[in-house]
Amino acid sequence: MERRVVITGMSAITPIGHEKDRIVESLQKGLSGIKSLREEEFLSSYIHSKVYGTVDYPIEYDFKRNHRKTMGPVAYYACQVAKEVLEQSGLTEDLITSGRLGVAFGSIHGSPTTQRNIYRIFFGAEDKIAVKEIGAVDYLKSMVHTTAVNITKMFGITGRVISSGTACTTSSQSIGYGYESVKFGMQDAMLCGGADEYDTTTVAVFDNLLACSTAFNETPHKTPRPFDKDRDGLVVGEGAGAVMLEEYEFAKKRGANILGEVIGFACNNNGGDMILPNLSGITNTLKLGVETTKINPQEVDLISAHATATKMGDIIEAQAISDVFGKTPYVIGLKSYTGHTMAACGVIETIMTLYMMQDGFIAPTLNLEEIDERCAMLKHVQKVLHQPVNIAAIQNFAFGGVNTILMIKKFS
Amino acid sequence: MTRQEIEREVINVFQREFEIEKPDMDADLRETYEFDSIDAIELLLAIETFLGTEITQEEKKQAVNIRTITQICDYIEKIAKKRNLLLPA
Repeated sequence: MERRVVITGMSAITPIGHEKDRIVESLQKGLSGIKSLREEEFLSSYIHSKVYGTVDYPIEYDFKRNHRKTMGPVAYYACQVAKEVLEQSGLTEDLITSGRLGVAFGSIHGSPTTQRNIYRIFFGAEDKIAVKEIGAVDYLKSMVHTTAVNITKMFGITGRVISSGTACTTSSQSIGYGYESVKFGMQDAMLCGGADEYDTTTVAVFDNLLACSTAFNETPHKTPRPFDKDRDGLVVGEGAGAVMLEEYEFAKKRGANILGEVIGFACNNNGGDMILPNLSGITNTLKLGVETTKINPQEVDLISAHATATKMGDIIEAQAISDVFGKTPYVIGLKSYTGHTMAACGVIETIMTLYMMQDGFIAPTLNLEEIDERCAMLKHVQKVLHQPVNIAAIQNFAFGGVNTILMIKKFS
Repeated sequence: MTRQEIEREVINVFQREFEIEKPDMDADLRETYEFDSIDAIELLLAIETFLGTEITQEEKKQAVNIRTITQICDYIEKIAKKRNLLLPA
């Protein structure tokens, strides 16, 4: 059994805004969400990269205590976008709690804020009472599937739970595995996404690998610079996103507002190095993704590239795109606006692409001033294009050699 | 420590930690306030802090059947008495 899968809700908390209008305005006006790294008393003074994709606007949460008690900051983000997507989808409470709706949601490592507090208690403990403050609740806030199960608890969702924790492919896997769950009839709807909270340990990891941007510490909005000659690395960011996937006939029958369609997904592994991008692995992912859609690669209008703005990553990805899609699709790097929001990047980039489909424009890659000649074989976008987008691919790659591609289509 | 102080502290914990403004002393905590196993663990920790003494595993097991705030106060009173922390009324 293969069923069509449509999108009936989407919401994102991003460094360039929360509501659609604000995000679209940022994409059209070239407004960056990269700010100075916030000072904290832990790692910020040791990190060379002083920039961060920052959510610095207030979010009004309205969660009851019996939900809040198991939530770290990452779960607040996750539950907020989940709440908005459930409301937007218009699914009834009966359906939500029926077991026909599942959740695919993840973060890269639970709540690092909570984990840091555990270490503070552990290493600062002077007596047994203090050590006992590390309790079950802290685990529930920091475990890797904390986002998914705080969502199920808050909304009474009883279907399957998938909680990928595959670094930068976390939420693209969430959408992909959610899509397959609905497509093959295991669930009628899946709430899918990912979230990551503000965290300097992630910055420190990439900083130590010399993968972070450091040359634009005084001008944060000038970095990251995907495909640009002067790119010098990625910028870590925070955020969240969720989409509601539904079986098409069910969505149509209940009169749902259909926002787009997922038409394909592929995921593979490089089968080797855990860090270095791999041309063969990435190229195979893109080919597999196209194969699942049964369309011609030349029918793809737009590619949202992973494009973290690392030296080698962008070159390898450009080569893979060129090998599979040629020069037909426009190629953009949306992390130039938000930084790398880690577990959330796949879903945030999917939602931004859906906004572009809805409003008929293509946002340029920010800071792409002089294209690196090794990436120049693609159809880059350097200013806003007002034109329809029918089919798009969203590409994401992760540490551990995990590669994903999602294929989405404008619903008509 | 007196029974009155115990009751005052328990009510404080319910107001402060569990955001229940006027807790009913004899209401079923699970049914009325959605009190669950996580809350019970948090409560035991608050009781230990209040008493300034560790509650043994055996004593914790005895708390399993507690359903109301009055029963919580009885439980604390019993432990305080055992530790010679309770003043006569």
